[in-house]
Amino acid sequence: MTSKLAKSIFYVGTLSSALLFLVLTWDTHNQVHALTNADRLSDDVVEGKRVFQKYNCNDCHTILGFGGYYAPDLTRVYDRRGENYIRGVVAQPELILANSFRKMPHQNLSAQEIDRLVDFFRWVNDIDTQDWPPQDSKKRRSTESKRLIGGSAMTPGAALFKGQGCIACHSIGGVGGDSGPALDDTGARMSLEQIRQYIYDPASVNPQTNMPGYQEMTPSDLDALADFLARQKGETQ
Amino acid sequence: MIPYKSQRVAYPYFVVALLLFGLQVLMGLWLAINYAFTLPQSLVDIFPFSTARAFHTNLLVLWMLLGFMGGTYFMVPEESKSELFSTKLAYLQLIILVGTGVTALVGFLFGWTQGKPLLEIPLELDLLIVVGALIFLFNVAATMIKAKNWTMIQGTLLGGLVMLALLYLFGLPFYKNLSIDWYYWWWVIHLWVEGAWELVTGAIIAWILLRITGVPRGVVEKWLYVEIGLFLFTGIAGTGHHYYWIGAPRYWLWVGGIFSALEPVPIILMVWDTFRHVKERQQKIENPLVWLLAAGCAIYHLVGAGVWGFIHTLPQINYYTHGSQVTVSHGHMAFFGAYALLNFTIFYYAFPQLKGITHFRQTLGKWGFWITSLAMFALGLAFGVAGVLQSYLERVLGLGFMTAQAQMQLWFKIAIVSGLVFFVGVVIIIYDLLKMKQSAPERIAAA
Repeated sequence: MTSKLAKSIFYVGTLSSALLFLVLTWDTHNQVHALTNADRLSDDVVEGKRVFQKYNCNDCHTILGFGGYYAPDLTRVYDRRGENYIRGVVAQPELILANSFRKMPHQNLSAQEIDRLVDFFRWVNDIDTQDWPPQDSKKRRSTESKRLIGGSAMTPGAALFKGQGCIACHSIGGVGGDSGPALDDTGARMSLEQIRQYIYDPASVNPQTNMPGYQEMTPSDLDALADFLARQKGETQ
Repeated sequence: MIPYKSQRVAYPYFVVALLLFGLQVLMGLWLAINYAFTLPQSLVDIFPFSTARAFHTNLLVLWMLLGFMGGTYFMVPEESKSELFSTKLAYLQLIILVGTGVTALVGFLFGWTQGKPLLEIPLELDLLIVVGALIFLFNVAATMIKAKNWTMIQGTLLGGLVMLALLYLFGLPFYKNLSIDWYYWWWVIHLWVEGAWELVTGAIIAWILLRITGVPRGVVEKWLYVEIGLFLFTGIAGTGHHYYWIGAPRYWLWVGGIFSALEPVPIILMVWDTFRHVKERQQKIENPLVWLLAAGCAIYHLVGAGVWGFIHTLPQINYYTHGSQVTVSHGHMAFFGAYALLNFTIFYYAFPQLKGITHFRQTLGKWGFWITSLAMFALGLAFGVAGVLQSYLERVLGLGFMTAQAQMQLWFKIAIVSGLVFFVGVVIIIYDLLKMKQSAPERIAAA
C-alpha cells in the first residue's frame, strides 16, 4: 500500500462516517419530539429530572438502560410499580425494602420533590423505546407465563400470578415478595368479584393501597387470576 | 538518560496516576462487596453504592487521562525535537486537575453531584477541568508549533487530544429531555473511548514501537493512517449502538449495528501491525517487558473492546443484554485491555529513562502484567456469566430484578475474589515502578 492510499483511507473513512453521523443527528432532533412526547415535557417533569440527578439515583439505577447496574431499570417503573409504590419506596426505603438483601439509601426527599420525581417517571414511561425493556413489553406475555400456562403443573391463574409479577410483592405459602401482604387467605376474606375488582383497580376498593392497577390485562386473564386467588383460603404463613 | 530535560514533568503525572489507580481498584472491591453482601441501612444511608460508583468511575477517568497526559509530555519533546513550551504550565495543570479531582471526590461524599453517571462532577468543577485541559492543549500545541518539526504521530496525538477536549463540552449542559441528554452523553463517553482515546493510543503505541523496534518511520506512519482512519470510520457512526432504545429513530439499529460490527477491524489491524513491526525490527529489543505490555495491550484491546463489544452491540442481542451485567463485563475488559495496559506500557517505557536506569529486573513487572491480566479476565467472565443469567432470568423469563440478582450472587462472590487478585497485581506494579533500580544486564538474561 502506498502512503497516498493510506492517507486517503484516513480522510475518506473519517469524513464519510462523521458526515453520516451528523446528518442522522440532525434528523434525530427532528424526530425526537414525537418519539419522546416532548409536548408533555412540562416544567414539573423537568424539575423531576433535576431531582433524579440531585440525588444521584442514576448511579445505582439504570434508566433507558444506562447508569449503575445495581438497582432496577426505571424506564417503565411507572407502569411496573405504579405511583404509590414509587412514592413509598422513595420516602421510606428502609420499610418497603426491609427484607430485601439490597438496600436503598434514605434520601429525605421533600413531598414536592417526590411529586416531581413521579411526574418525571410518568413522562419517561411513554418514551418510544422500540419496546425495550423486554420484560416490560406490553406486546408479549413473558416466556415463563407461556411455559407455565402450556404445562399441566399449574393453572393459568397461578402462572399469571408469577408471570404478571404479583409474586414480586405478594407471597403465597411463604414464596414471593413481602412489600405487599401475603395472599394465602385471600379467598377467605374476599369474594371472587371483589378480588377481580381489586386487581383491576386497587384504589377503587382500598384508597390506601400501594398496589398498581392491572387495567392492561385481558378480561379472561383477569378472570383466571381472580379465580386462582379466590381459591387461596389457607392460613397466612 | 532522557534527551530533553522537560520530559521530567511526566514523572509526577505518572506517580499520581498510579496512586489514583490503586484507589480506583479498592473502590471497585467495595462495589463488588455491595453486590454480594447485604450492608446495614445505616451504612447505605451514609456511603451508598451510588457514591462509591462515582468514586470508582471518576478515578478511572482521572488516572487514565493523567497517564495519557504524562505520556504526551514525555513523548512530545523527543518527537518534536525540542523542550516543552513551558514546564511551569505543565505543573500548574497537574495541580489544577488533581485539586479538582480531589475536591470532586470529597464533594461526592456530601452529595455535591450533577447526577449524570461518569459525568457527576458539578459544573463549577467541570469548568476548572476545562481550564486544565486548555492549558494542556496550549502547552502541547505551542511546543509543536515552535519546534516546526511536524510528524504524523504528533498530528494524530494532537488531533486526538483536541477531539477529547471538544467532546467534553457536550457533557456540560443540563438537558431537559432525557433522551437528548443520553444522546449527547455518548458524544463524550463513546466518542472518547472509541474515537479520541483510540487516536491517543494509536499514536503512543506507534511511537513506542518505532522506538523499540527501529522500524522506518514511513512504514509505521502509513499503517497509523489506515488504523486511525478505520477507528474513526467505525467508531463515529458506531455511536449508534447506544441509540437503540433511548427514544431515537429506528434507523440507529441499522447504523449502530453495522458500524459497531466493523469496530474490531481496526483493532485486528493494530494487533497485526504490532507483531509485524516486531518481526521486522532492526534493533535488539532492550526492554522486553515493554514489548510484552504493548503486545498484551493490542491483544487484550481486541478481546475486551473488539470481541466483547462486537457480541453485545448486535441489536438482536443487545435488546436482551442492554443495561445488564454484560455491559459491566465489557466495560471492565475493554477499559483494562485498551487503556490500562496502554498506560502500563507507557509507564514501563518511561520510568527507567526518567530514573536514569538502563537495565532493571523485569520479573516483578511480568508478574504484575500476568496477574492483572488474568484476574481481569476472570472478573470479566464472572460479570459476563452473571449478565447472561440476568438477561435470561429477567428479560426472557420475566422474573423481577431482585429475583434475578439473587441467582447471580455466586458470580459476584467470584468477582470479589478476582478483584482481590487483581489488586495484588496492581500493588506489585505500583511497587515495582516506584522502587525500580539499576541492575546488571546479565541478571535480565537470567530472569
